[in-house]
Amino acid sequence: MAASMLCKRTAMLCRTLKGLSCSKTVLSANSQSGFLLQAASYNPRPLKLNLHEPYVPDKDSEKTPEWQKTAKYDRKLFGRYGSASGIDPASLWPSHEQLDKIIAEEREWHPPLEVMLKNIEAREKQETEKRLAKERLLAANMAKMPKMVADWRKEKRETKQKLKEEKARRAKLLAEARERFGYAVDPRSPKFLEMVAEIEKEEKKKKKLMKRRLKEEQVVAPVTPPAASS
Amino acid sequence: MSFPKKPGGKALDVLQNLPRITLANLRPEPGARKTEKRRGRGQHGGNRSGRGHKGERQRGNRPRLGFEGGQTPFYLSIPKYGYNEGHSRRPQYQPLSLKRLQYLIDLGRVDPTQPIDLTQLVNARGVTIQPLKRDYGVQLVDEGADIFAAKINIEVQRASEGVVAAIERNGGVITTGFYDPISLGILIKPVPFFLRGQPIPKRMLPGEDMVPYYTDAENRGYLADPEKIQQARLALAKKYGYILPDISKDELYHMLSMRKDVRQIFFGLAPGWVVSMPEKKILKTTDEKLLKYYSS
Repeated sequence: MAASMLCKRTAMLCRTLKGLSCSKTVLSANSQSGFLLQAASYNPRPLKLNLHEPYVPDKDSEKTPEWQKTAKYDRKLFGRYGSASGIDPASLWPSHEQLDKIIAEEREWHPPLEVMLKNIEAREKQETEKRLAKERLLAANMAKMPKMVADWRKEKRETKQKLKEEKARRAKLLAEARERFGYAVDPRSPKFLEMVAEIEKEEKKKKKLMKRRLKEEQVVAPVTPPAASS
Repeated sequence: MSFPKKPGGKALDVLQNLPRITLANLRPEPGARKTEKRRGRGQHGGNRSGRGHKGERQRGNRPRLGFEGGQTPFYLSIPKYGYNEGHSRRPQYQPLSLKRLQYLIDLGRVDPTQPIDLTQLVNARGVTIQPLKRDYGVQLVDEGADIFAAKINIEVQRASEGVVAAIERNGGVITTGFYDPISLGILIKPVPFFLRGQPIPKRMLPGEDMVPYYTDAENRGYLADPEKIQQARLALAKKYGYILPDISKDELYHMLSMRKDVRQIFFGLAPGWVVSMPEKKILKTTDEKLLKYYSS
C-alpha cells in the first residue's frame, strides 16, 4: 500500500515537472487544450460578510451612534450586505447637486486633454523662442568679434607706438638741451621750456616752407602736363 | 503512457529500505546553523565583554553619530543644494524586472493567456504597491530582457525601451497607462473597494508634466496615436535587430488587442457601475445626467 502511494506521488511529481519544463514552449497549446498546469493558484481570502445575521442599525432610535446614520455608512452596508441591508441603491450615486459640484470641481482642476496639449505646446513654443533669441544674439555678437578683436589690437599697438614716440622725442629734446647748455638740464626748468619753444618755432617755420614748396610744385606740375598735351 | 523503467529508481529503493525518520536520524546541513555569540560568559566572552578598555566606549557614553570631537562634522560642512528638494512629492514607480515577470509566468502565478494588469500582478504577489507613499504604479526594468520568452499583453505605468523591445520581440503587446492615486488604490485592492458600495469612478487624466510621456508612441502611451505606435514598433524592431512578429495572424490576437478605455479602471467594468459582492450583481444607473458624467 505504501509502495503504491509512493508510486502515485512520484508519478504526479514527474507529470508536474514535465509540465513546468515545457510550459514555456507549449503556452499556446495549453490555451487550446484549456488545461493549464498551475503550480500556484490564487486563493482569495474568505470575505466573512456575515450574510445570515446582518447588522443594520436602526435609523430612528437615539441609541445608535451618529456615524452609523451617515450616507457613507449606508453605502458600506450596501456593499457588505447587498439588497438585504434595505438601502435604496439609487442613493449610492451622487445626487444632482452633488454631481454639479463634482462637475465644477473637475472642470477647474482637471482640464481636458486638448486644453492640456495646447498649454504644453504654448509653453514649449515660448521656451524655444527664448532659446532661439538668445542663440541669435550670441551669433550676432560672435560675428562682431573678429572686428572688435582687430580694433582692440590696433588700439594697443597705437598707444604703444605713441608712448615710444613720446619717449624718443623727450630723449631727443634732452640730448639737444645737453648739447646747447653743456650740462644735464632738468626738463621742468624754465630754461628747458624756452629751448623747447624755440625748437618748436623753428620746426613750424620749416613746415611752412615745405608746404609752400609743395604748393609751388603742384602749381608747376598741372601747368606742364596741359602744356605737354596741348 | 508506459514507463520504460521504474520511476524514482535509486531514490525509491532508498526510501523503501531505510528506517523511519525520527529526531535521532536528522541533522542540519553543515553551515546551516551558526552558534550565537554570547557576551560576558567564559574566558573569551567575559572580562570586558567585547567593549574595549575604559573610556566612553566601555562606559557606553559615546557621542551621537556624526560627531567629530568638535570639528565641524562632514554632514554639516558640505553646503546644501537642491538635489533632494521635493523628493517626497516625486512620483515613484515600483520596479518589476522581466526576470521576475518570467519567474511569475513560469510558476503559473500570472496567466499569460489573459491581459496582464497591475491587479493581476498584485494578486500574484509579484509586486507590492503603496499608493499612500507616492507610488504611481509599476515600471518594467530591463533586467532579464535576454531570457524573457513569453507572449503577453501587459499594461504598466512606465517601461524602458529595452523592455518594450523584449516584449514585442516575443510577439507581445505592451502599453503604458496612467492611474491617478484614487484609481490606483482601487486597482490594487478591488474587493475592498467593491465592499465600500461606491460607484466605480472614472480614471483621471495625467497631469501636464506627464501628458507628453503618455502621448508619445515611443513609450507606447495609452493616449498615443495607434498608427504612430505601429510605426514605432517597426522602428524599434529595426533598431534592435529582430523581426517584428505579426500579431494579427496570432490565435490570441483578440486577447492581445484588448486595451482599456482612457477612463476605464477594470476590464469589463465601466465607470459609474456599482458591484454588489454578496449578490454577485452589477447595478447601473439610468439617470442621463449621471450617465453623461460617467461617460465623458
